[in-house]
Amino acid sequence: MHQAVGARRGRHRITWQGARIDWSGYAFVLPFVVPFLLFTIGAILFGAFVAFTDWGIVGQPEWVGLKNFQEALSDPLLGKAFFNTFRYGLIVVPGVTILGFLFALFVNQRWPGYLFARFAFYAPNVVSATVIGLVWVWMLDTQFGIVNQYLGLRIPWLTSTDWALTGVSIASIWWDLGLAFVLFLASLQEIDPEVKEAAMIDGASRWQSVRYVILPLVRPVLSLVITLQVISTLRIFSQVHVMTNGGPASASSSVIHYIYNFGIIKFRLGYASAIALMLFVVILVITIVHRRVIRERI
Amino acid sequence: MSAVRRYLKAHRMTVVDVPAWILGMLASVLWIAPFIWMVSTSLKPREQVMTRYVEWLPSSVVIDNYVKVFEQPVARWALNSFIVSIAATAIGVLLGAMAGYALARLHFPGKRLVFGVLLASLMIPTEMSVVPLYIAFLNVGLTDNYVAIVLPSIASVFSMYIFRQFFLGFPKEIEDAAAIDGASRLGTFFRIALPLARAPAIAATILLFTANWNAYLWPLLIVFTEQMKTLPVGVAQFAPVTGAHTQISGFGPAMAAVTLLSIPSLGVFLLLQRYFIEGVTRSGIKG
Repeated sequence: MHQAVGARRGRHRITWQGARIDWSGYAFVLPFVVPFLLFTIGAILFGAFVAFTDWGIVGQPEWVGLKNFQEALSDPLLGKAFFNTFRYGLIVVPGVTILGFLFALFVNQRWPGYLFARFAFYAPNVVSATVIGLVWVWMLDTQFGIVNQYLGLRIPWLTSTDWALTGVSIASIWWDLGLAFVLFLASLQEIDPEVKEAAMIDGASRWQSVRYVILPLVRPVLSLVITLQVISTLRIFSQVHVMTNGGPASASSSVIHYIYNFGIIKFRLGYASAIALMLFVVILVITIVHRRVIRERI
Repeated sequence: MSAVRRYLKAHRMTVVDVPAWILGMLASVLWIAPFIWMVSTSLKPREQVMTRYVEWLPSSVVIDNYVKVFEQPVARWALNSFIVSIAATAIGVLLGAMAGYALARLHFPGKRLVFGVLLASLMIPTEMSVVPLYIAFLNVGLTDNYVAIVLPSIASVFSMYIFRQFFLGFPKEIEDAAAIDGASRLGTFFRIALPLARAPAIAATILLFTANWNAYLWPLLIVFTEQMKTLPVGVAQFAPVTGAHTQISGFGPAMAAVTLLSIPSLGVFLLLQRYFIEGVTRSGIKG
């Protein structure tokens, strides 16, 4: 970074990059930086240390080297949790992205009722996982749930190993869509209306103007939405915990849910930290790849 | 016919748009329907909750389900949630405003490094720090109280970022005038800069309040007693898998509980929709 090139010329004239230093800047930043260093950076570093230890609830940590990681790699239930998390991603990410984009296109038209639609599409995003979870447990109830009643089916959405992950995914799409929707809407509103009119005059159909005019213009946001959604799906926990608690038979478990259920609850904190570290590396790789791709495109 | 045409034209629509419009409106009604179903179920008498056919309206509006909810210490959970959310939000907004102001306005070595580290930390999912924080808090005995719930969330990078963006575009002359009058930096900030930063303050307050109000994993871990639970954690006991309430009393009380839980966040959203969406896009899109 830029080193201080301050030359002392009297008490109040210490400069840096040619201007007087505002010493009060540190006083302003410190109350923020101290808790940040403690509870974010410090916690991450501490977690990286704990991952190499055996740490129960009482007693001292015992250094065990790579044992936790070796155990993790040969743990079939954890493998299942990682695999499930990947499957959540395959359903939730495209669901949120495609629906979010379509809904934003619709609201952006400002046709009658668009204010209501904007409220409706974003509203689920502001309530807690407990609300999302319980409302959908009720709606997806096999016998009396409104979904099965309208479909005229008896799908055991949350109580069978075949369907539980799908059931939780539906609720997750409903919950997560708002953010993607709002981000798409903001980027659509930034498109110059003349660009769209020009396309219309050139005789482009609605589909063509979306495909060849709008989509290229919102591409950076599209990529942002996908990355944010991938990361948030990798962290999927609360709705799983409320709706199925990972069951039946781990059919809907996720990585964070596994950390909670088999690490924290059973006080295997070293093991839990090791899994958290592995998930962190996955997220980091995705973020870095995403940055690369973005930079190449622009 | 011409009246329809005129109506369509006034709303920049053509006849071909009508199917798309109907589809879009249907989607929005479908999207809000779970909330309506939730409220409707919560007001139904017990025997109408599980019916052969879908009945959207309660045959008679009763508050039995709400009464049942209050057999649990829901009032206490709500009080806890309010205390925790308000404290975490107030501290988070203040610290964010101060840091954002300094990083945008004041000139001191290391400020770019600080900003870079803070931004980079947004990539770190909060769940990553949960296990180590849990160990640390257990070991220093900081559990099962308000301070333990609030502490990890007070340094919000989102809050800092929103204020920094605002103060970058804040006219310098206003502060310079105050500085000439002999006001200290701190005085200038609290008396002049902060009162003018209404828009970012509202955006940050809304974002932090909903995040804190809805927080789930950390309060679930750090609270051990029924009395200290926050509303989302307490109400989750109405879920059939994690708690047993629903199996005994059906979905009526459960829906009453989540209706109560969603009122503050939905209400704030309804009233302050514009700020909500602005705040989300400002911190998301340009971040």
